[in-house]
Amino acid sequence: MRAVIVMAALAVLATAVFAQDAPSADNGKVVFDKWCTPCHGAVAPPDARFGGTGLPGTSALEVKYSGELPAVLEERTDLAPEFIETVVRGGLFGMPITRKTEVSESELEDIIAYLTRNNN
Amino acid sequence: MALPPNVSEEEFASALSEFAQAVGDEWVFSSDEDVALYRDSYSIYWGEPEERVASAAVAPANVEEVQQIVRVANRYGIPIYPISTGRNLTYGGAAPTLSGSVVVDLKRMNRVLEVDEDRHFALVEPGVSYFDLYNYIQERGLNVMLDVPDPGWGSPIGNSLDHGVGYTMAPYRDHFGSRCGVEFVTADGEIVRTGTGAMPGSDSWQDYRYGVGPMIDGLLAQSNFGIVTKMGFWLMPMPETFLTGTVTVPRYSDFDALVKEVSYLEDSFLTGMPSFGSPAAGGGFGEAPAQMAELMQDGWPSVERIEDFVSAQGRPAWSVELRFYGPEEVVCASWEAAKRRFSDRVSGASFEDGDFWRLPLPPDEVATNPSKPLLGIPALEIFASMARNPQTNDAPLEGHADLFAFLPRKAESVHEAARVMSETYSEFGAPPAHHPFSTPINFYSRAFIVAAFLPTWREPARNAQSRALYSRLVDRCAEHGWIVYRTSPAFQDQVVSKLSYNNNALLRFEERLKDGIDPKGIISPGRYGIWPASMRSGRA
Repeated sequence: MRAVIVMAALAVLATAVFAQDAPSADNGKVVFDKWCTPCHGAVAPPDARFGGTGLPGTSALEVKYSGELPAVLEERTDLAPEFIETVVRGGLFGMPITRKTEVSESELEDIIAYLTRNNN
Repeated sequence: MALPPNVSEEEFASALSEFAQAVGDEWVFSSDEDVALYRDSYSIYWGEPEERVASAAVAPANVEEVQQIVRVANRYGIPIYPISTGRNLTYGGAAPTLSGSVVVDLKRMNRVLEVDEDRHFALVEPGVSYFDLYNYIQERGLNVMLDVPDPGWGSPIGNSLDHGVGYTMAPYRDHFGSRCGVEFVTADGEIVRTGTGAMPGSDSWQDYRYGVGPMIDGLLAQSNFGIVTKMGFWLMPMPETFLTGTVTVPRYSDFDALVKEVSYLEDSFLTGMPSFGSPAAGGGFGEAPAQMAELMQDGWPSVERIEDFVSAQGRPAWSVELRFYGPEEVVCASWEAAKRRFSDRVSGASFEDGDFWRLPLPPDEVATNPSKPLLGIPALEIFASMARNPQTNDAPLEGHADLFAFLPRKAESVHEAARVMSETYSEFGAPPAHHPFSTPINFYSRAFIVAAFLPTWREPARNAQSRALYSRLVDRCAEHGWIVYRTSPAFQDQVVSKLSYNNNALLRFEERLKDGIDPKGIISPGRYGIWPASMRSGRA
């Protein structure tokens, strides 16, 4: 009986550790909404008074890909984890560097899990 | 690993160890990879020896940890550079003024301490962003409106400390002017509270800001006399409605009357931030359509030629959009009063009704609202203008260096500034960005701003022209008495050198304060030209 309890406790512990360590696409969605959606979201003013048309990231990708790839990052199925990490940390064009006090290493892994959840 | 000036590798290693004892190993960043995250993304010296870079960063979670960091830095003589959210892009970002400084990253101090919807104030820590504060207010349904800058990722504290601005009514869009009550840590680790916060038990810290005696809040803005750890802000009660209306006047020479009447309305608190434009020219400040280049091809045109141009266009020379906040009866009456006053003063003035919204906006209408900054809603939509778009498809900007210079609130000053800026651009062979119909910006209600936006790149060879033009613009503005009110570390010494009245008496006074308050000069050496005594010898 004692062995069963110990085994069960270990299983719970292992699950907890696994849950803590494994990237979470669900949390990635939360982090993405906070840090990325203002530029890379899907819903934009039709004709913003400040800045032009659309959200900066989404509208830029619309121009870049001309419909060949989705402009909304959450609809992509081809983003490489390394590319996401490079862009988040280093920035790209007008998108600035993002520090670890803003998006932690584990939160970045969660963002990657979210954006690659439907990868081919 | 980069080292702070005049600190040995062993001393620095010991200091980093003591920083880690204060905040935890996880929150001291000293690897090259981590320190690179504290570069200024828009640096005009990117990749060049003059780029300002940190030696390390340390991220405290509370004011007690800030005190410990300051004491360690003082013991070792290590320069430290506090940042709030580190998003002060175009003005230095997260990078220090002095290379080798340790950045004190306050992003983890991110608590909204209080928002009072009856007394209309907020009290926050430095790591709180406008997005954070807005979400806090929305989640609780509080009846107050923020005043936000264009990028919502900034910190109310950091923005106000660099004299940042927004868009609503004059008392609120001056972000440092709307502060009430400051807490800061001195270079020797003491906590000081200003205003009535200095009295234990006082409940009016965010109600009355003068306290008794000298008001020293101003010493904390664009300076290096302490690390701000809390600040209060006065907020506008949520207006019931928002209304816009546009006035147009037909002739170029009508601009003088337009400016005077707008100033009357602003100073009477009858309108929020006005927005000037020029239908005849097809755009506002910073835009120079092809016909503007043609108009200026033989030099700055005469008034007669400009009036002929306006007539040929068949459009009004000038416009101004007025923005009203308040109960429906009041905003409608204010707009009617404005129309009457303009009609009485400018022959041919005409009017067009604009937007009308009841506030607060329903949640499902926020994302699609095109005027978020006017309604105190943080956003990042301003960046679409520099991101890849049909006009910039081949070469989207990587950054920008902004120059804002203050002018007297007079039509003739606006025209003179446009001419001077245009001439200066021409010296460098740059396409004209200013023209006879260039309009001022009214971020601060009592003065006009002339602006220049220069591109920056992450390719060193491409930044030289922007640097040279920026520096020349600073000189030209100073020749005309126009003060550049905010700039990146790359130009702070030059800008401050223009305040030369009585042999730079103002800067010399600030230096005496620095020597007394922070004798080792550890806090943000060189910020806005204030260097500690040990680093001052080379200054002209």
